[in-house]
Amino acid sequence: MIKAIVEASRDRLDTRKVSRQKKDALFELAARVGIIAEQSRSSSMAIARAAASERRKALKVGLELVAAGAEVEALDRGFSASIERPSSDPGAELEWMLVRSGMRGLAAYEHFSVIMRRMTAFLGPDYFDKAEDWLMYRTKRRKSRPESLVVPGELPDVIRILAMDKRNLERALRASGRDMAAAALAGCPQESMDLARPLYGKIGAAALEDDAAQLRSRLSGDEIAQAQSAFLEVVRSLEERGELRLGPEDELSADPAFVAALTKTVLGVDAALIKSVFRGAEGALVATAMQGMEPEAHDHILGSLSKREIKRILDAIDYSDPLPRRAVQGAGKLLASRLFEAAAAAKAPRPILEHLAAIRDWAT
Amino acid sequence: MIQWNADLARRLHCREEEKKRLGPIIKRLMDLDRKARAEGFLSLESELPSIDDPLLAVGVRLVMEGVSGEALEEILATYLLIEERSGWPFLKTCVTIEGLLALAESDDPALMARKLLPYFGADKALAALEEIEKAQDDRNAE
Repeated sequence: MIKAIVEASRDRLDTRKVSRQKKDALFELAARVGIIAEQSRSSSMAIARAAASERRKALKVGLELVAAGAEVEALDRGFSASIERPSSDPGAELEWMLVRSGMRGLAAYEHFSVIMRRMTAFLGPDYFDKAEDWLMYRTKRRKSRPESLVVPGELPDVIRILAMDKRNLERALRASGRDMAAAALAGCPQESMDLARPLYGKIGAAALEDDAAQLRSRLSGDEIAQAQSAFLEVVRSLEERGELRLGPEDELSADPAFVAALTKTVLGVDAALIKSVFRGAEGALVATAMQGMEPEAHDHILGSLSKREIKRILDAIDYSDPLPRRAVQGAGKLLASRLFEAAAAAKAPRPILEHLAAIRDWAT
Repeated sequence: MIQWNADLARRLHCREEEKKRLGPIIKRLMDLDRKARAEGFLSLESELPSIDDPLLAVGVRLVMEGVSGEALEEILATYLLIEERSGWPFLKTCVTIEGLLALAESDDPALMARKLLPYFGADKALAALEEIEKAQDDRNAE
């Protein structure tokens, strides 16, 4: 049994005695809160300003608590302590609960569309369409701010691959939930957002884009990277459960034959040669290629490098996420190609050259 | 996590013949889930005209918008809170809400069924599961 049902069943409210006129007034109040939520995204003082000019007591107190930085639980306690629930007046009681719910959403940085939905839910399903019309109007009026902050990582590639079959991308986004998806997309190029947005409809797409924009300024790079790792973990879990329809080249697990061949080849290459090629290679490329090798090949590579180079490569590995097979093989083939050129120039034994050429020309 | 209390159990209590009506509701939720997974969530728009239950219609539209997690849970539970229900209407609403949450997460329909079947009661859940699995086998055979 879900927690909210248990709480709702404890917290009964009879709205049948509340007049239509009162409900309409509460709808307007919810819309006011929605606008405050929207404005608070671009102005940190919007909530405090709204609190200062608000006349309705419950809303004023709620806004003051949110403006003071109260988190959801503290807000609940503060709100209940400041204003007694007026249980003898159904209309006032409905307003009390509706405002408290809206303030919870505001304190949790929810998008104005979600806040509007949660507040108008107190008015019943009859008000859903009215809220929809209001949201469509606000969504059309809102200013889209396409901008991107690219956190180094493989998520954009993974999203591109998932989007080849929209069902895959949609399943990953839905299983993650829109909040996590927005946080992960906050660190991706606009292209990733453009692939995800059409899967949510107009209101949902606006919420996803606005949330990502807001999180981009609210979260640190590390927090966004964590969200991206969590998203990739969901993707991997879906893949393990056979929930994604990926072609073999898009699977996150490496091709065992490629891993065995690359490992054997790397182990056969002279340490000096490895040092000369890997020293100048991009950390991300090496980290990606190493996902396609067994641990003994990692040891051989790291054992050939200076301490400074080892640190650089290990840092790159720390920042890397599991990648699709095609990306791992692509990186392995590129490094094998560079090793081949260096080995040919150094007149390395023919079998080494043949092994390197075989990896370089591996069919994908 | 199941968080039962005595009042909730009392409100969920209903007659056995009423509980039998859960089967079609669960099947309907599973069909919506299947459609969303196969054709995309926005394809559920075409199902809306045939949905009679206002809560289910509202819930499907929220899911299409991408409302998820605690926010979705709280919004759906609010619809439960504002109407005094007990017995069959309450049970039906609880099952619908739990099904919508599973739909929002794009659960596999079999997983959704396992989340909803306990509402039949421990003694009836197994038989209901067998019935649903048989229907699924028949569907696969077709």
